[in-house]
Amino acid sequence: MNFRRLAIQLTLTWLTLFVLLPHALVLLTSVLTPDPGQLASYPMTLQAYGRLWDPIYAQAFWQSLWLSACTTLVCLLVGYPFAWSLARTPRVTRALLLFLMMVPFWTNSLIRTYAIKLILGNKGLINTLLQGLGLTDAPIDLLYTPFAVVFGLVYILLPFMVLPLVSAFEKLDPRLLEAARDLGAGPWARFTLVVLPLTLPGVIAGSLIVFLPAMGMFYVADLLGGAKNLLLGNIIKNQFLVVRDWPFGSALSLTLVLLMGLLLWLYARANRHINRRGGLDDSAA
Amino acid sequence: MPLRSLLATLCLTLASQGYAAEKVVVYNWAEYIPEGVLEAFTAETGIEVEYSTYDNNETMVAKLQLQGGKGYDVVVPSTYLVSRMRKEGLIQPIDKALLPHYKHLDPALLDKPYDPGNQYSVPYLWGSTAIGVDGSVVDANSIHSWADLWDPKWKGQLLLIDDVREVFHMAYKINGHSTNTQDPAEIEQAYTTLKRLMPNVRVFNADAPREPFLAGDVALGMLWSGEASMAQAENPNIVYVYPDEGAGFWIDNFVIPAGAEHVANAHKFIDFMLRPEVAKQAVEAIGYATPNLSARALLDASLRNDPIIFPPSEVVQAGEFQEDIGDAAMTLMNGYWEQLKSGQ
Repeated sequence: MNFRRLAIQLTLTWLTLFVLLPHALVLLTSVLTPDPGQLASYPMTLQAYGRLWDPIYAQAFWQSLWLSACTTLVCLLVGYPFAWSLARTPRVTRALLLFLMMVPFWTNSLIRTYAIKLILGNKGLINTLLQGLGLTDAPIDLLYTPFAVVFGLVYILLPFMVLPLVSAFEKLDPRLLEAARDLGAGPWARFTLVVLPLTLPGVIAGSLIVFLPAMGMFYVADLLGGAKNLLLGNIIKNQFLVVRDWPFGSALSLTLVLLMGLLLWLYARANRHINRRGGLDDSAA
Repeated sequence: MPLRSLLATLCLTLASQGYAAEKVVVYNWAEYIPEGVLEAFTAETGIEVEYSTYDNNETMVAKLQLQGGKGYDVVVPSTYLVSRMRKEGLIQPIDKALLPHYKHLDPALLDKPYDPGNQYSVPYLWGSTAIGVDGSVVDANSIHSWADLWDPKWKGQLLLIDDVREVFHMAYKINGHSTNTQDPAEIEQAYTTLKRLMPNVRVFNADAPREPFLAGDVALGMLWSGEASMAQAENPNIVYVYPDEGAGFWIDNFVIPAGAEHVANAHKFIDFMLRPEVAKQAVEAIGYATPNLSARALLDASLRNDPIIFPPSEVVQAGEFQEDIGDAAMTLMNGYWEQLKSGQ
């Protein structure tokens, strides 16, 4: 009992000090007037929020959204069949395979991103191989393209898609599939009417934990995309460091936080909706 | 009350930090000091060096501003920031009487407009931004000006330094303007010029522009002198070309923040770095030029006469040093920069 109270107290203190307080400061800064000498000063104004409607920021937002959506889709297409087959392997093999998937996480993601540069470069593994096989004469431009950015993001974020999917598939009772087959459902019907609805919570959870970080990982776009596209993260960084317009930088980052909150809320709603409609999530077990 | 004891421990830890031995807190660019120099300084003076690094001028200034100019005893801003930090009262005058080795410095690199009389700053290293060419892919003799980068045949192939002022420098020079212009019309003209360059860009890089050259991903683009000499050591085909319109030049300087707590030690540290033997090591390890004439004389002839490190004086004359241009011009340039990068 005492331990529980301590744990809760510690967590609350931690969250207040390092999450609530900084965000309150960001909120405060966002309604102040830019002042290069003092970083920000009174009087209060909503000017920074007015500037958010500049089409250039909408474009940066779409660019970020588009890259994250592509990443999420590829992760899903790769992760779904992978998680399915993983869930059907014996317990020991599954634990080993999951462990192997996590091993790269022992290396810093920045270092792994640099490694991808070596693989995709003009003299990298892939181009050397293609040229060695005589498939192309000149190296193909892989690095510093949107392809490289999505490739890097998928590589870093795939496990976050696989883990919730594996647990969704583990919950999937094989007897339901047998029953469906006995009742005359073909493979396609079994997939769309039984497997997909039952694993949908896993799909949504996985997509969300891939999508949200992908929006923020601007260093991957900088390193692999050649910093050619302006993403929200870059704009925020520039506003704070180069232009020194702290209120506008704060307004931008708050907007990003709010958007992510909105997505989380949509997720919670979708989840509740699925559970209520089918009541399948737990009653299946 | 576990929370209270936690706080008490925290306070004790913080307090004990305050009573350390003689020390100096140095905040420098990453990879910008030869190995062993800090240890040698401590061994000789008994002053501990608390050393940390940054990879971006602006980060350093933002940090100093937030801490009210306190927390560091020596920092190393580039040219244009010295004048800004001076105007904003972030740095304090340097006492030359405490710097017996100041006399070694090249008068040609002192008393520049960013700090007349070097009241606030002491030059550490300097270098240039010019054109890098991989001679095994592109004929280096065909490249002699910034304008050559605008040739449509380089579509999707160039490297640009990921820095507003460096990139605008090229356009200002092509249009015959100063790199320190604050005139909105000239800034807009540079933007129009740069818009035509954007299709040629393959990658923007500001942490190690030599890497894409060495990896074979680019064969032409902007490059810093120190990066060029490091690249050349690995791949002799890399050539460094000073463009006809004028290269960009900058000097990184030691300054003492206004709120420094160990001012005397900071002077001792700066003077140690001004010693010819130490300044010589800096050139050897980092590949940028030293303003220290005595150190230059000590250098091996191959380094001393390397035009990448020490450009001929007519090249320096043709180029221009960056100065502070004020926040209004900077905001305007950054707006155009964002437009360039988002393809507008």
